[in-house]
Amino acid sequence: MTITILFPSFPRRQVRTSGSLSLPFPAASHAITLSPSFPRKREPPFSLRANRQWILAFAGMTACLLGSLAHADSGVGVDTWRGNKLDPNAGTQSETPDERGTTWLQPGQHRSPSGNLYLNPSEPPQPDEYGDWQGYGILQLGLLGTGGDDNNALWNRYVDWDSGLILALLDYTWERPSDGTYANVRASRLSDDDQYYQAVFGRAGSYKIQAFIRDMPNVLSNNARSIWNGVGSNTLTLPSSLTPGGSTPEQVAAVSAATPERTLKVKREKQGLGYSMYLTPEWTAYANASDEERSGARPYGGPFFFNYAYPGDGGVLETVKPIDDSTINVNGGLRYAGAVWRMDFGYQGSFYRDRYTSYTYQTPFALTPSISNAISAPLTTGQMSTEPDNNYNNLQATFTRKIPWNGELSLTGSVGRMSQNDRLIAPIDCQGVFGIGLNGSLQTGPQNPYLYNCADWNTPNALSRRNADMSIDTSMLDARIVLQPTSDLSVRGGFKFNREDYRNTYLAYNPLTGQYGYIAENGAQGTVVTGANGSAEGGVGLWDPSNPSAITRVLSLPLDQQTIDANIGADWKVGAHNTLGATLDFLRDEPSHRERSRADDSSVKLTWINRSFDWLTLRANATYLKQTGDNYNYDPYEFLYSTSLPGFLAPPGGVQAQSVDALRLYDLASRDEEKLDLIATIAPRDDMTISISTRGDWNSYDAEIGRQGYNTLGATLQWEWQPSPSTNASLYYGYDRSKLRMASVNDLGAAADPTLGGGTYSNDGRWWTDDIQRNHSAGATLTHTIGRVRLDASWAYLDAQGTTRYRFATPAALAYFADGFLNSNEFPPLAYRTNSLTLGLTIPLMRRVSMRLFDYYERGHVSDWHYAGLAAGYVIDHRVYTDGGPQSYSANLVGLLVSVEL
Amino acid sequence: MSAVRWIVVRSVLLGLLLMATTATVAADLIDLRQIGAVTGDAASGKAKATACMGCHGPAGVAPVPMFPNLAGQHSEYLYWSLVEFQRAARADSPMTAQVAKLGDADMRDLAVYFAALPPAGAETKSAPSDALAAALFRNGDAARGIPPCQGCHGADAGGHPLAADAARYRAYPILRGQHAPYLTQRLKDYRDGRLTESSNDRIMRGVAHSLDDGSIEQIASWLQVGAQ
Repeated sequence: MTITILFPSFPRRQVRTSGSLSLPFPAASHAITLSPSFPRKREPPFSLRANRQWILAFAGMTACLLGSLAHADSGVGVDTWRGNKLDPNAGTQSETPDERGTTWLQPGQHRSPSGNLYLNPSEPPQPDEYGDWQGYGILQLGLLGTGGDDNNALWNRYVDWDSGLILALLDYTWERPSDGTYANVRASRLSDDDQYYQAVFGRAGSYKIQAFIRDMPNVLSNNARSIWNGVGSNTLTLPSSLTPGGSTPEQVAAVSAATPERTLKVKREKQGLGYSMYLTPEWTAYANASDEERSGARPYGGPFFFNYAYPGDGGVLETVKPIDDSTINVNGGLRYAGAVWRMDFGYQGSFYRDRYTSYTYQTPFALTPSISNAISAPLTTGQMSTEPDNNYNNLQATFTRKIPWNGELSLTGSVGRMSQNDRLIAPIDCQGVFGIGLNGSLQTGPQNPYLYNCADWNTPNALSRRNADMSIDTSMLDARIVLQPTSDLSVRGGFKFNREDYRNTYLAYNPLTGQYGYIAENGAQGTVVTGANGSAEGGVGLWDPSNPSAITRVLSLPLDQQTIDANIGADWKVGAHNTLGATLDFLRDEPSHRERSRADDSSVKLTWINRSFDWLTLRANATYLKQTGDNYNYDPYEFLYSTSLPGFLAPPGGVQAQSVDALRLYDLASRDEEKLDLIATIAPRDDMTISISTRGDWNSYDAEIGRQGYNTLGATLQWEWQPSPSTNASLYYGYDRSKLRMASVNDLGAAADPTLGGGTYSNDGRWWTDDIQRNHSAGATLTHTIGRVRLDASWAYLDAQGTTRYRFATPAALAYFADGFLNSNEFPPLAYRTNSLTLGLTIPLMRRVSMRLFDYYERGHVSDWHYAGLAAGYVIDHRVYTDGGPQSYSANLVGLLVSVEL
Repeated sequence: MSAVRWIVVRSVLLGLLLMATTATVAADLIDLRQIGAVTGDAASGKAKATACMGCHGPAGVAPVPMFPNLAGQHSEYLYWSLVEFQRAARADSPMTAQVAKLGDADMRDLAVYFAALPPAGAETKSAPSDALAAALFRNGDAARGIPPCQGCHGADAGGHPLAADAARYRAYPILRGQHAPYLTQRLKDYRDGRLTESSNDRIMRGVAHSLDDGSIEQIASWLQVGAQ
């Protein structure tokens, strides 16, 4: 049995449109310093030091470019580091630590400014000479085997452990020291779905070309049972054993039970090209382009009216959404780096295209009217829009100049446009009629005012326009100044202006019928419940002059916004051991069509760093933030609804309140926040570091209804030991706890009174929750060389638990409480606990050949009451689930890798 | 994976593990980064120093400027130099024969003895290039890739600023008052990669890499006359 309690939805009008109008945008100097550090494998060992500097500068610039390339991608970060789950460190795991350490100047490892030990570097390569060229690299081939629950989705997240032969790593570099020309290839292949290849060619201080291909899997479910045929396509149809709109729950359950479990996953295939070059020693030009294609399927929603309110009616369906899209990212620009000036002129673009505009699915269950003697239209098909095709273009220019007092002034401006003009889908995908035949027939006419012709709504002609024609213009201005008048004092200031302007709105108007609004729940809502009371909640979702009191959404919501952020701060070194800092920040947020037209954040942050002892670095940060704003309008959305249309006639008693006046949304509510961080970095020995950190964040909201408080506390303890390049060990423990306090109220009445405790939101409907999240994490690592054998071991532990406690004024506060939680005060904990252990041996076999044998064991425990009862079957009454939910698992990976230094 | 496959895989792994033989890590570098203090018997060292005096003078001050003064030098530097001579055993070095039969205690005694002798007095004459040499020694030349020497040898060339704190800093020699011809040859040897036995040699290899002959001679002369 599925145990479910549903609290009423937050008392705020939903923002939905038929055509899915959301915009899911994806988001050199010649100065040379000699270092006695050893040349490292990743440094081009050119004989000309200037060339090396150029390469390093070039590599840094390229990294910046790649970073900006990734920044434009919806999957930020996935391209900046070419690695996979077998080798998350992109090759460094296969490198041998350099027994000589970091530098001849001192033993042991260096420490970062914050007091942490740097990792020991790897041995430099032993290049082979080929005429003018020299080359070095590694080839790592291996064999993997998995056991246990190795089909589990969590075990296979972002990896495809395909048992068998693999190319763990190929990494080879050619260099010509005489002119700084270099080339590198890098590849890894675990399976067809999990592999990457990269090639780079260039000349230090001149140009660089790179190309890459990367495939990455993402398993979303390994226990899916789809009752539909056509998974992965945009047409989900029921099997012949089921009758669309005419099957019983028992029949559907039988089909589901007989369907073998399958894996639902999405594969990402990305390829890219990049080019950069020096035009002069100061000017560089760059251009990058990439294309990422996703394919597969994932569990998704599928509305066909809410089954809870009307048991035995409609359906709650978990469908399977097809994924077949591509995103092209491009960027290019010019950069100047001189002694005084630096400039950057860049363009970024992102272009998303989805093969499908929508997908459809058949519903197995019948719809029956809530009114006696009436009949419902036989709706059998639902539809869901996919993400719309969209474009993003942005131009940006940055000017930075050195100024007196060892300072720098930087000014950045950018303008951009996010736009979509995808074809809008028709409001409904049906044939015949939908709605309710009040007189017992399905003949449209005055006798059946709540019966509608599909032909008037299943065509794009039913839309007020055919395409989205939506865009958001963005503009940004950022000015920053930093001054260091003395070595002990640094002063900084900044000003940032951001603006987003929505260009256009969509009016849900059907020129074929003269009606406003959108068809709710694929027409199923209006086919079960009429709009007898004039409310959208009780009808198909349409307003017209003949139904002048119906309340329904008719307009998309433009969320124009302007923010101004100004800050000033300073860091002052007081004496030899203390540094004090202070930052004042003021942020003004001016959103349009929101509860407040102005919200102001004022904050002060104080920092203190103490190094009174050689072995101890103490850091303390304290922040106080206060958010205020202008008058709070609890319901600014009336203009989106039919209540704003000419001819709207308020029903007797007035328009039902759509929101409670005591509600304060958390992002605009008045708020006080205090944050405190304490960090101690201790070096009891030259080769050891102990780090202790604690943090707290306390938020108090001025809200009787809404988020009232959100507090987090956390602490970490870390020990790290590097007694020699061949030995290092670490231990880690972390704990954090957060508590989110919410208050809400159910609308028990249908009056116009919006006051808390009034006719609509009586105190009997009030309820409260505390969401408590508690996490423990721990880990340990050990690397040790015994003779020629290197041992590595690591352990990672995570124990995450979330509990929701609740209380309510009366049972009326709960929408559906019949499943047994009335006498309780909390839901069962949501638990996710993993233990993983890695053991590895790396053994040199001959001068250039070594072998790595490793075992990776992971055990995961998942407890999620949302999926309770699915073990007995995925179909419960009229609720059809496809994904069986996350499963506990215990799996093992053993691998043998043979490395050859090339 | 089938059970048979598991057995085969693990058998192969076990075999490969057994193939791993003992370590043969080369220890061909004298690592001066973690040395301890050098102690010995100065009186015994004096008795053993007779052979040294021909080149380095009876009081540790070399009469021939191609040979270094030893008097007042850090015992750690002297001891590890002897170790280096002994290990390198270069055929073209006059020190090879001298150190061949010295035991470790002999070398420590000699080092302690010469370190205890009063250093040679610096010449007091000045040269036109003193200012340039001083700037090069103290500030280096970033444009030419030359780091400042004073970081390891002290602003007055009297040794590492932290020499009193740890023995490893006394492996950096005192340069003030040293013979210019000796210093010149030594710097050229570093620059040309002829000295690589110790970790400090590796440091000097990088330092001297960009020094031209003129700069070397300027610095050496400036050090000889007292590094003022």
